[in-house]
Amino acid sequence: MTSLVDSFRTTMRGYLTYRGREGHLAFLLHRLTGLGTLLFLIIHIVDTSFVYFAPHLYAETIELYRSTPFMIGEIFLVFSVIYHGVNGVRIAVVDMWLPHKWTLTAQKNWTRWAVLITIVLWLPAAFIMFRSMLVHNFGFGG
Amino acid sequence: MTTSSQVRKVEVKPNYENVAWKWMRYSGIALIPLAWTHVLIKDIVVGVHAIDLEYVIVQWSSIGWQVFDILLLAFAFAHGMNGLRQVSFDFIHGAGARKAVSWGLFVMWLVISAMGAIAIIAAAQNHLANL
Repeated sequence: MTSLVDSFRTTMRGYLTYRGREGHLAFLLHRLTGLGTLLFLIIHIVDTSFVYFAPHLYAETIELYRSTPFMIGEIFLVFSVIYHGVNGVRIAVVDMWLPHKWTLTAQKNWTRWAVLITIVLWLPAAFIMFRSMLVHNFGFGG
Repeated sequence: MTTSSQVRKVEVKPNYENVAWKWMRYSGIALIPLAWTHVLIKDIVVGVHAIDLEYVIVQWSSIGWQVFDILLLAFAFAHGMNGLRQVSFDFIHGAGARKAVSWGLFVMWLVISAMGAIAIIAAAQNHLANL
């Protein structure tokens, strides 16, 4: 048990104190957005399967998704799906087709581009979802 | 001085980790149209306030959307669970413990995937039969 805690501490210390700038932050954000999306995905597959297994419960779960905390969570979920996708394409393309681009300078730039593309795609989506939340949950005029 | 622009090619015998590595990249690329279309329609264009039981039943009455959702389920969840397996290996180092975690995640993946797939395939038919 001690070794498990030690191992956890060592890995977490590595995650947090490694000073790899763009590459380090891209890695951490990729993991966080991936794990966050997976957590939601597990809940989402199960609740959507209620449409078949327990139709009367489906309305209740949808009601939960319509609540303000979940709608705010949804805005972050969409950020996660966009960032994980854009950054993932960066990794996949370089790994499989452009390995000579695995250089520090090139990937610093690619990472900045990935973040920029994410924000450009996310802002309009976030605006629409935030507006929808104000309209449906706070009675703002549509 | 060697430069990092020199790429060394190595033949790798296909094994589980090698296939999983490729799976993460190919499924990831497939998920750009699949997951992004799903999110664009459900979260942004339609919105959670317009989604209810009827909406899902109508959607799954279409064979095209059934195929779309099955593909999305297969690619997204297997990608995510293998990702979790990779993250867990950063913390779990023993061969036995890794094997146990892998099997646990595999069973979880199988059960939840089956739940999702059964719902996608059978929900619309079941609903029509009960009308």
